[in-house]
This record gives sequence, structure tokens and C-alpha cells, in this order.
Amino acid sequence: MIKRWIAGAIGVLAVALAACAPGGGEADGDKVTLSLWSWRVEDVKAYEKILATFEKSHPKIHVEFKPFQATEYNTILATGLSGSAGPDVAQLRAYGGLQPLVEAGRLVPLDGRVEALSGFDAKLLEGAKGHKDGKIYGVPFAYQTLQVLYNKKLFGDNGIRPPATWDDMIAAAGRLKAAGITPFAVAAGPDATWTLPIVHEIFGNARYGSARFRDALLSGAKKFTDPDFTASITLLKDLEPYFPKNVVAVKIPDVQALFATGKAAMYPTGSFDLAPVLAANPSLEVGAFQVPPPPGSPVTTPVTPGWADGSFGVNAGSAHQAEALELVRWMATPEFGQLYASELKQLSAVPGVTPSDPLLAEMAKNYAANGAPYTLLVDFRYGQPNGDAVFRDEVQKMLIGQTEPKAVAESLQKGVEQWFKPGD
Amino acid sequence: MVQTGRLSARRAARTGAGRRYVPRWRVLAVFLLPALLLYSVFIVYPLVTALDYSFFEWRGIRQAGFAGLGNYRDLFGVYPYDQQLWRAFGHNALFFAGTMLIQNTFGLLFALLLHRYGRGKRFLQAAFTTPYLVDPLVVGYLWSLLLNPTFGPVNSLLDAAGLDSWALPWLGDTRTALPIVIVVNAWQWVGFPMLLFSAALAGIPAEYHEAARVDGASARQAFRRVTLPLLTPAIGVVSVLTFIGNFNAFGLVYAMAGSTGSPAGSTDVLGLLFYRVAFVEGGTEAIGRSSALAVLMFVFIFGVSLLAGSYFRRRERRLL
Repeated sequence: MIKRWIAGAIGVLAVALAACAPGGGEADGDKVTLSLWSWRVEDVKAYEKILATFEKSHPKIHVEFKPFQATEYNTILATGLSGSAGPDVAQLRAYGGLQPLVEAGRLVPLDGRVEALSGFDAKLLEGAKGHKDGKIYGVPFAYQTLQVLYNKKLFGDNGIRPPATWDDMIAAAGRLKAAGITPFAVAAGPDATWTLPIVHEIFGNARYGSARFRDALLSGAKKFTDPDFTASITLLKDLEPYFPKNVVAVKIPDVQALFATGKAAMYPTGSFDLAPVLAANPSLEVGAFQVPPPPGSPVTTPVTPGWADGSFGVNAGSAHQAEALELVRWMATPEFGQLYASELKQLSAVPGVTPSDPLLAEMAKNYAANGAPYTLLVDFRYGQPNGDAVFRDEVQKMLIGQTEPKAVAESLQKGVEQWFKPGD
Repeated sequence: MVQTGRLSARRAARTGAGRRYVPRWRVLAVFLLPALLLYSVFIVYPLVTALDYSFFEWRGIRQAGFAGLGNYRDLFGVYPYDQQLWRAFGHNALFFAGTMLIQNTFGLLFALLLHRYGRGKRFLQAAFTTPYLVDPLVVGYLWSLLLNPTFGPVNSLLDAAGLDSWALPWLGDTRTALPIVIVVNAWQWVGFPMLLFSAALAGIPAEYHEAARVDGASARQAFRRVTLPLLTPAIGVVSVLTFIGNFNAFGLVYAMAGSTGSPAGSTDVLGLLFYRVAFVEGGTEAIGRSSALAVLMFVFIFGVSLLAGSYFRRRERRLL
């Protein structure tokens, strides 16, 4: 009796398992279905529109867009790529975030397979490369730029123009503060520690010597304890009076609100913040400027730091590699780039694509002319502890008054040199 | 065979129930297996996996060879984890001490008051226990909104009342942040020790108290010498559960102080450190190191709970 019951249970279980077994990309007739994984749940509609264009020119391929929660995505993708139910094409994190997948050998190197990559910006391509083998594993889709957004009306009301020199900027901040307006919307609260290195980049990139200093760091000629880097940290301490009061208790939504409601005049942030700010107040007139180099800077022209957001890569275990490669090849074309830029209001990594939004277009122009790598993110996320993790904690301590710029630089160096070997 | 026969005879004699019905093993298995299976798959297996992972070197999601105690050494030797580990441990200990002092003392006080003055008991019990129907993440989020220095109502009220010197950046000051988190945690959970103490108080026969009073004991003496000792079992349970909860603290602290234990790590706890090592900072070593930390936390919490449990059992036995 019991035996029959158990056998029955096993039978039911087997049927259930078979029903949810991964199908892979099954072909109906000779049409191939590719699955495309992403962490952008909010972009489903846009991708459907973008991919419909692809399917029109590639009638034998159907692409299924499958987004996952961004915070869970890394784990889901790692599991998916190591099993048989993974994607054919996947959105990949950039720089350090990409390495676990590369080192596990789950991705197809695209060198020689996607010719258009040779035309991409070399700085952005770094985000899609294996750190050890130097091969390209994805087609970069977007990049972010760092600059100061400003409220045009507040500037006009207070007789201020986008500053041409550092001193102009400080004078403007002083005038705004006197008028009861928070000059810089900067958060350093619990959710904002990741933005502190960004704020440092915006104000301090030129001061520490930009790309030239980064090259010296990577070759081992210089360390973070260099006086120029320390001076770039000191800038944040100098600017603190122009940040919101109790900046260490201020969160990101607070500063977005301060800026969107006209209580703060300048917002040092990434291009990614333009859409949320305008969503909070569509009538806000926003401009953007690059921070003029502070006195004593080794680099005397303004810079726009930036980084690659991520890329699209091909699963080495995909049953439809030829079709998957066809898709990522299309993702390197201006057709995709233009669609991506206009549908998602982001800066496309495809060369020659100009955003339709004039402000984004200006940011793209600035990056093309004066782009510089955001080195803590781009180069120091390959090991534990990663550079910006140590840096943000120490900067927060400095803003409270618990430590000094020199000690911040020393901690950063001490943290990263445990795994970072110059000249690698 | 003889032995089992004697054993069951002795058991029958002890229970005094004569012959007991013992189901056949197959019947037992049908009842026990589902629970055992779930327990193994969802508790034992992950624990063993973490232990296994912690002994390997990791390159992302790929094991790269046996590491022995390498991951454990990293936790104690690699900057800044070597400092953060002890700092977080210290905060967990403070969290526990503060919770025992505030949450459990108030829990006992409320239980005593409700026990003595029965009016509105049901309502008050329900009111005190409502906050723990809400997830700690939500509680933390709500309180961080209330305490927001720019837009929060707490500081606006203080300002309006002319107490602007009291309108501190509560969660942005290294001196106040951890105490605030402890108080909010106590606010959420105070109903729990209250319920346990209420139940224990209801179980103490009123005669004991009356006898003490007849013998001339003051109310305070009666509480100290009669009630409190008889609450030992409840105090033991509350202490151990508080310990386990506090050393595993995560959601509330994460919601109020972010993954870094803001400001400047002044609220950092072991749960946050684990979260950062495992999920936030990435790096190819993440799995090995975070597993090692998880194992350490488990061994410590499990070990201390066992010791505390046996300590309180000894105390109880002395009572009898």
C-alpha cells in the first residue's frame, strides 16, 4: 500500500519536474528564440520596442527580454551561466563586477567576432575586458559622466553664471549660502556613501592629475599617498561649509528633493541623476558645467570623469551562439545605439550616437573632449577591499572630523595594496 | 532484546501508564520524514555548504583550490576587515547590553504593571506587540524618516517647541546613532519580553506572594526574594533569544544606517559586515571570506547560547 503510494508520489514529482525543466531556446520551425537577461526591470517596454526593430531585420530570431531585480541579478546570472538554463545573451556588469564570470570561463570572447568594437572608445571598452587576459567580453551599452548640475533660475536670480574658475565657483557658493540657498546638494548619509567618491571625482579629478596620475598609479610610479591626491581629498573638507547642514545624516532622496525644489542650487552628480531630478520636477531648468580645475592642479583644463555602465555578452554555454553573436553585433551598430539613447534617455556607448536631449548631448560632448576615467571604480574594484569601499568610509569620517585628508589617503593605499600589484 | 524489554518496562513503570503504544517505524517515518527533509535541505545543507565554502580559495564563482584556514586568517589580517570585525563585534555586544537594559527591563516593568493592574490588559498587550508585526526594514525606514534632520517631524517639533539645541542629526552623529538604533529596536520588540514575562508571572501562585507579605516582607522584598527568582526560566529564555537576535541584527540597522553602518561605521554590526563582504564589495574572494565570517558567527552564537542555556538550567534546578 505504502509502496504504491510512494511510487505514485515519485511519479507526480517526476512529471512536475519535467514540466519546469529549462527548455533552452527551442526552435519552432527554424525560428530561434534567444533569451536576453538584464537587471533593468524598469526598461521592459523600451527593450521590447528596441528588440522589435532587430527582429524585423532578423526574421529568424526571436529575442525574449528577461529582466531580474538589480540587487539579485549578479547571483542569478552567475547561477544561470553555470547551469543549462542560462541566457543566450546577458547584460554584464563592468570592470571588477565582470571578472567573476570571466574567470569562471562562462563568456565568449568577442575579439575578432564583433568587428565594430574596434571603433569604440578605448576607455569604455576597458569596462568589458577580462582583467587578466585583456580580451573583450561584451559590447558596452552605456556610460555615465560626472559633472555639476545647476538650477538655471537660481543662478539667474543671484546673478551667477556657470563658473570659469575655481574661485568663481567658491564665490558663487558663498553668495548662494548668504541668500539662504544650499550651494551644493551633497549627501553623505547612510545610503550615500557610494556617492562620496563620485563627489570627490567631480571636484578633485583635475587636482590629483586625472588620467596621468591614474597611469602613474597603475605602473607603480605613484601611490594614493601622493600629495596631489591628498590635496584632492582636502577639497571636500574645504567645500563642506557649502554642503547641507549635518551632511553625514543627509540621504540621496533628500538632496534630490533639495535640488528639485530649488532649495539647493548645484548638484554634483552623474548623468544618471538627470532623469530622476526631472521626474521630480519636470519644470526645473537644469544646466550642467564641468568643475574648473582648483588652484595647484596638475591638469589645467576642466575634466569630465566617466565610466562604462556595462555591456552585453554571450553565454559560452548557449545552444545558439551564432544567433547570439548576431544580436550582440547588432548591439554595436548605430541603429541600436540611437534607439537605446532615445528610448532610455541614457548615453549610448556606440560611437557616433548623439542623445536627443540637449543636456545629455552636452555631457557626451564634454566626455568626448575631456573624458577621464573614474579610477577608484574603474581600476580598484578588482579585489577586496575595493578602493571606493575604503575611501567612502574614510571620507565620511573626515566630514565628521574624525580623520584628516592625509590619513584618508593612507588608509586607501593600505587597503588596496593588499591585493593591487602595480604593473599587472 | 532482553535489554530493550527491560528498558521499555522501566519506562512503563516511570510513566505509570502501563503499556504504551509505540508506532511502527514506517509510520513514524511518514510523519517525521517530511520535516526532516525540509530541515536538512533548508538548514543543515546551507550550513554545511558555508563550512565547505569557507575552506576554499575562490575566483568569483569558481573554487580555486583548498585554502585551509586562509579565509579565516584574511578576516583577522586584511585591512580594513581586521579592524571592522572587532568594531562590529563590539557594537553587537553593546547592542545586546543596551537591549537587555532597555527593552527587557521595560518588558518586565510592563508585564508587572499589567499583572498587577488588570485594566485594559488585552488592549495594552496588543498595542505593545503591534510593532513586531512590521518588518524591521520597514520600522527602520519609518524611524529614519521621522528622524531625518532636513525633512523629519521629530526635529521640526523640537524646533517648534524652542528646543532647537535638541534638534540633533540623530542618525548622523557617531555618539547618538547606535543608541538610537538600540532604542528603536527596543521600541519594536518590547512586547516580546513583556508577553513572556506576563505568562511567567501568571504561572506564579498568588499564595507565595501572600505568604511573603504575611511574614512581613515589603512589596519590594517580595519582588526581589519571591517573584524575581521564580522568573529565572523566563529571564533565561528572554536573554538567550535577545542574544541570538542582537548578534544576528541586520534589517533594522541596514534600514537606518545603510550597509556601511553609517556614520563612519559607528553602527556597524557583524550582519552588515557580512553583507558588505558577500554582496556589496564584490571582489573575487567574496564567497570564501563571507562564508568564513558566517561560520564564525554561527559557531559563536551557537556556542554562547548553549553555555547560557545550561547556566540558566542550573540556576533553575537550584530553585527547586
